Amino acid sequence: MANRSRAEQGVLGVVVVLSALLVWGLLSGGLGPAYFLYLLGLVGMYVLLSFGLNVQWGYAGLINFSVAAFFGLGAYGTALLSAGNSPLAGGLPPLLGLFAGLALAGVLAVVIGIPTLRLRADYLAIASLGLAEVVRLVVLNQNGWTNGSAGLRAIPTFFEGWPVLGSFPEQMPTLVVDRILVTIPFVTQFELLGIRLGTSFWQGVLNVGLVLVFVGVTYLLLRRVHRSPWGRVLRTVRSDEDLAEALGKNTYAFKMQSFVLGSLIMALAGVFYAHLNLFVSPGDLEPINTFYVWIAVILGGSGSNRGAMFGGFVVIAIREGTRFLGDVLPESFPVALPNALSLVETTYATVVSNIASTRLLAVGLIIILVMRFRPEGVLPPQRELIWPRATEEATEGPTSGDGPTVTADGGDRGADR
Amino acid sequence: MALLEYIANGLVFSSIIVLASVGLSLVYSIADFANFAHGDTMTVGAYAALVAFGVIGGLGAEILGLPLGFFVALAVGIVVAAVVAILTHKLVYEPLDIDSIGLLITSIGVAFVYRAVIQLGFGAQVTEFDIQVLRPIDALLPLGVRMTLHDVAILVSAVVLVTALHVLLQYTDLGRKMRATADNPDLARVSGIRTDRIKLWTWLIGAGLAGAGGGFLGLYSSVSPRMGFNILLVVFAAVILGGIGSIYGAMLGGFLIGMIDQLTPLLTDVGIPIGTEYSYAIAFVIMVAVLLVRPNGIASEVGS
Repeated sequence: MANRSRAEQGVLGVVVVLSALLVWGLLSGGLGPAYFLYLLGLVGMYVLLSFGLNVQWGYAGLINFSVAAFFGLGAYGTALLSAGNSPLAGGLPPLLGLFAGLALAGVLAVVIGIPTLRLRADYLAIASLGLAEVVRLVVLNQNGWTNGSAGLRAIPTFFEGWPVLGSFPEQMPTLVVDRILVTIPFVTQFELLGIRLGTSFWQGVLNVGLVLVFVGVTYLLLRRVHRSPWGRVLRTVRSDEDLAEALGKNTYAFKMQSFVLGSLIMALAGVFYAHLNLFVSPGDLEPINTFYVWIAVILGGSGSNRGAMFGGFVVIAIREGTRFLGDVLPESFPVALPNALSLVETTYATVVSNIASTRLLAVGLIIILVMRFRPEGVLPPQRELIWPRATEEATEGPTSGDGPTVTADGGDRGADR
Repeated sequence: MALLEYIANGLVFSSIIVLASVGLSLVYSIADFANFAHGDTMTVGAYAALVAFGVIGGLGAEILGLPLGFFVALAVGIVVAAVVAILTHKLVYEPLDIDSIGLLITSIGVAFVYRAVIQLGFGAQVTEFDIQVLRPIDALLPLGVRMTLHDVAILVSAVVLVTALHVLLQYTDLGRKMRATADNPDLARVSGIRTDRIKLWTWLIGAGLAGAGGGFLGLYSSVSPRMGFNILLVVFAAVILGGIGSIYGAMLGGFLIGMIDQLTPLLTDVGIPIGTEYSYAIAFVIMVAVLLVRPNGIASEVGS
């Protein structure tokens, strides 16, 4: 495609390079296939979280700093019903847990929304961060309900008890791929493959399939919603709330709807996480998890669902990549330096041995740098806001000079399939 | 009798919250955004004071049970916090071309950078000032109040600093300019006030107060990289309770939130099963409740 922008080419490049690294890891046996699928599941989860935040921040301009709370409520909602050591119920089917998690998050969204959505945007930021902390404290301290800091274990997989899928991983045969010795004459020789694809692999396949369904359905829903009259009102609210009011729109209702919709998507991600990780604890509700999602959205481009996908990918690369680097990098600086540069050596040693702090530093720097150099994100929403038919007509028409514009009343008319 | 003790504790904790919330409110009104790095500025002040105290030691003389060296170290903490804030303003905030929401998001990045650097330098563990813990003051024990001289020192220092800020704002040229800039930056600029310079002063004073609050918080409990971020929400609650941008409102809000926080044990005393682990949560729920009734804070008529 020749008409990609430079940013799109760059994003494509990053994705290709990261994918190539992952494939190499798989082939060389450094990355277990089951773990690879787990990572894919996490990427899907972050994409869902970013979609949710995009509905709130990207579409309607609502600063929600309680992403972790909605995510956590989704996870705890389903875990409390289905986990083996749940103090409340336990053993119930995960599908029921899905609805419980979504319901909890929906209620919390309304409760947070009522006092804050009428106020200036920064009140919502502060109040939502605070209420997220309240939720975390309740989960942490109400041992009788949530099992406290010990967390909930023995959560079944999402498909447990389903007719065919429930026993799919056990029934699939274990595939064994033998090691191959690859020799490039006179250069090097190395071993490839040598992988066993057992139950955990097939379970991973199921999980990735599940998250693909979640992401796919959400994406299609959001794309439709974003281009609908409802989505256009939201974008108006974001850019000029007074204008939306003047046009007779009840902006409070619109903001509340988008807040709840976004929160439900975050809770969906939480439900998926509970059945992917099979263990949830109050640590999953830490505020830092909220800001990972924020990075995904502002890096990808606020309001852009393509950007949200890219952002989710990058966040997992940061989270898991730094963990991987911490394991791989040597403890001390590999090259001996003259004494004058001993500062470099000590800094290096500190950075490598405190990989969690380094990750926090990277997160902070990324936020600052994105806001400084590309506040609109890497992939800001452009064409995806416009019905495809509209661009075709505009480029064919005689007045293609100032590009296509979305009409205020109904883009639907010219665009029925 | 327990009530008196809670009130005494509340006074001390309020002093710390007031120092922090006044600084936050000052920055909020003049730089015009919610600075999420304010809590971590407190942490910076606390660590600077900790290091300085380790270097200079006690210096012999004692004031209110605290070695003179602690006050010198506290001054170092104030200066370092102010310098860091001004550098951040120059390097990060000033070149930005975004609205106040963008600044707010950026300030979270700044907060993470502060905390990460502190963690890299000092580790994530909890430390304390190397100052002997004092016995409670004997004269107050019959009243059921266990309060040490250190608590009194925190209280007195906070009163001194806040009074100094009050005098600065009301009776000096700089204070008048600051109030004018907070009120209407455009009008202030056309009146010949160099608002850029006022902004620098605001960062200096606001972050300095945060540094002092951080130092006292470290003395009151302990010093750890998360101390500032943990208390940030309580400080925000105080600022919102008092009405965003109102400095006297922030004083009142800080006082109330600090009191409420320390009065939490009363709930268990009267039989409500909500323990002190929820004290921050209660402060927060109260803030949200106030927002419902009075969106502009309790001191909205008074203004600054």
